[in-house]
Amino acid sequence: MPFGTKGKFNKPTWLPPRLAQAGVAAGGGDAHPDNASLWPRLILAGGLPLVTSLLLVGAATTGLLLVGRFFPANLATIVYLIPVMIAATWCGTWSAIATAIAGAAAADFFFYPPYYSFRLDDTQAAIDLLLFLLVALVSGDLASRLRRETETLRHREDELRYLYGFSRRLAACHMVSDLVEAIQDYLSETFGPHTAFFLPASATVSHPTLAEATPAFIQNNASAMMKPDGEQSRIIRDETGKSLWLLRTVASVETVHGVIAVDIGGEPHAAVHQRTRRVEAILLEASQTLQRLDIGGAMEEASHRLKDQLLRDAFHGNLSHELRSPLAAIKGSASVLETMPSIREEDRALPLVSTITDEAERLDSFIGNLLHAMRVSTSDIRPHLSCADPRDVVNAAIHRRSRQLAAHDVNVGFDRDLPMVNVDSALVEEACGQLLDNAAKYSPTGSTISVAVKAAVGYVNISISDRGAGITAEERAQLGQRSFRGERHRDVVPGAGLGFWIASTFISANNGSIEIMSEGLGCGTTASIILPEAIIDEDTGSNDE
Amino acid sequence: MSKPTNLVLLIDDEPKIRRFIRAGFELHGGFTVQEAENAAEGLQAATFNAPDLIILDLALPDRRGNEVLDLVRSWSNVPIIVLSVEANEEEKVRLLEAGADDYVVKPFGIAELIARSHAALRRYFKSANENPVVIAGPLSIDLVNRTVLLNNNQIKLTRKQYRLLHVLATHLGLVVTHDQLLDDIWSGSVRKNIQYLRILVRDLRQIIEPDPNRPRLLITESGVGYRLQARIEDITVS
Repeated sequence: MPFGTKGKFNKPTWLPPRLAQAGVAAGGGDAHPDNASLWPRLILAGGLPLVTSLLLVGAATTGLLLVGRFFPANLATIVYLIPVMIAATWCGTWSAIATAIAGAAAADFFFYPPYYSFRLDDTQAAIDLLLFLLVALVSGDLASRLRRETETLRHREDELRYLYGFSRRLAACHMVSDLVEAIQDYLSETFGPHTAFFLPASATVSHPTLAEATPAFIQNNASAMMKPDGEQSRIIRDETGKSLWLLRTVASVETVHGVIAVDIGGEPHAAVHQRTRRVEAILLEASQTLQRLDIGGAMEEASHRLKDQLLRDAFHGNLSHELRSPLAAIKGSASVLETMPSIREEDRALPLVSTITDEAERLDSFIGNLLHAMRVSTSDIRPHLSCADPRDVVNAAIHRRSRQLAAHDVNVGFDRDLPMVNVDSALVEEACGQLLDNAAKYSPTGSTISVAVKAAVGYVNISISDRGAGITAEERAQLGQRSFRGERHRDVVPGAGLGFWIASTFISANNGSIEIMSEGLGCGTTASIILPEAIIDEDTGSNDE
Repeated sequence: MSKPTNLVLLIDDEPKIRRFIRAGFELHGGFTVQEAENAAEGLQAATFNAPDLIILDLALPDRRGNEVLDLVRSWSNVPIIVLSVEANEEEKVRLLEAGADDYVVKPFGIAELIARSHAALRRYFKSANENPVVIAGPLSIDLVNRTVLLNNNQIKLTRKQYRLLHVLATHLGLVVTHDQLLDDIWSGSVRKNIQYLRILVRDLRQIIEPDPNRPRLLITESGVGYRLQARIEDITVS
């Protein structure tokens, strides 16, 4: 027969249901009815299509017989085209052929004289039937081919969607172990149990359930490929000689992260080709992710190393002492100048002297910030928590920043019954100072900065509100990240640089938290520090009289 | 004061710091400054010249400043003010417990150092002073009769409130550590807790401060202790 594709109709047992179905579609209707050796398998696998086609023909015949023989016989053959098309679209070429033959036989038997006999009296009837058979076979083949193509397209779409999902998952990988897990999941979902992902012995992540089930020679080959100078790809024939195993390394430039082993079967070649292609697709995605991870990791490491080095040098070089000693001499000398009668009498000299003082103080607070940042970077924060009055902490912060706040109207309000807080006052004071700094920096000169200290159940809330630039929801989201990920974006968003980073780290060290709220751009910003209330003994010791 | 001018021994290895401190003290009047550029020189001068006040920098080339402090304290109770670039609270407390009268963190203005020096000298010579009344802004504390006047009106304090004010008044203008206050106020008591002190201070402020929310007399030295200001305007000195 000229129809249908070559290949055995054997359902691959190891494909997952979805793909196995596609396999049936591709292989349907390939059998030759006259080949005796095919019969048992045909009855098993092709039984359903055959039964379907016979039922369809039977139904058509019954319909025609009910209507009666009041129409020309060649019209009957046209009616038999309907079951052929149905069989072709439902069950494929093989079923269409069976239906066509059965339809021709039925037409001959019931509707061409002599009735109830396969014999044909005139040539016209024979030509009619032959013509029917030809048309039925051609259109059946076309219909089933269309169906196959639709099936293939749908299958490919599934595959693409799946691969897309895989690559999306890879995009979220931040570590090689994430990647390994993603590959394992994808492999076992796609290829079923006939896959394994081998990891180097040093790797902490392993998937023994997959790796142990594979034949020993595959394991040996995989471990050979794990060596840095091993090949990237191997194809090994199974001991039984039936199927092929494809082994591929998952590697970045420097290291081999694992070996994929997939039983790609022996034949048909198309299926082998298809599976190989899928493995290649996985590997392509994986290697791109590895490159990304490698670059990201290398950059992070380099920046860490640089930062550590700089900080160590800074500490060992006693940076603060070296910078602060000249500043101490400058500020001290200026403070003496300020008291000198000759300077006090000179109108132009006094502002110059206060400029010297202000700038020296500015440099000093900058150095202070740098030292705080170093403490944060090197995680050198050891808070000494003790009971403190929140009023003291806030007043000290405001007093310490009086120079920065000089151009603003600072409005401070305390709740009447403020509880004590359990904090390291120096750290919290510095954090408040940083937020006050930001409030002053990012709000117009002369505007009001409100500081409100309020008591709530179990905690104290220190809020610092400005009437300044405000902050958008997106910026606020970034702000949160920054506090955890360090100063990387500190120049991007105004109002949230080193200062916020220091503040949030210091407050976290005090078991507190900072919340930033803003109505939006231009509507001002409120920074709230939330600190745990100190547990006070009932006997406060002061009830002495 | 027992002398017409006070002799200040200034031990600091940085010539520029010494220069402005000397200029500041001499300009202010009432002080004679002697300089030492290292610990050895400083200890020698402290022994032979009997200064009224020592200003000691902690970062000296030949010896650690706190060793100098310990050595001087072993034979003399001369007032010592420590200069430090460390703003670390534990270090401040350690220095105060080791016998320093006060500390000034670099960079500082001369007015701050002179104010501390005056306070330390006042306390040093207090024992020779017959007047038992300490004036702190609107407060007048009679240490002998144990009475306190606020704007010339007598105020009533609890025993512990008075004790707190008394300790601070005897160190007028100087910082007193938490531990020292706890020891003095709750002497003999087994349980000593900084919470008690915080609450006692809060209560006392309600009575003596014009605005208890913004104290200007009873000042908190964050992480270190408290200081009673001699004058209300002292707070503006930074």
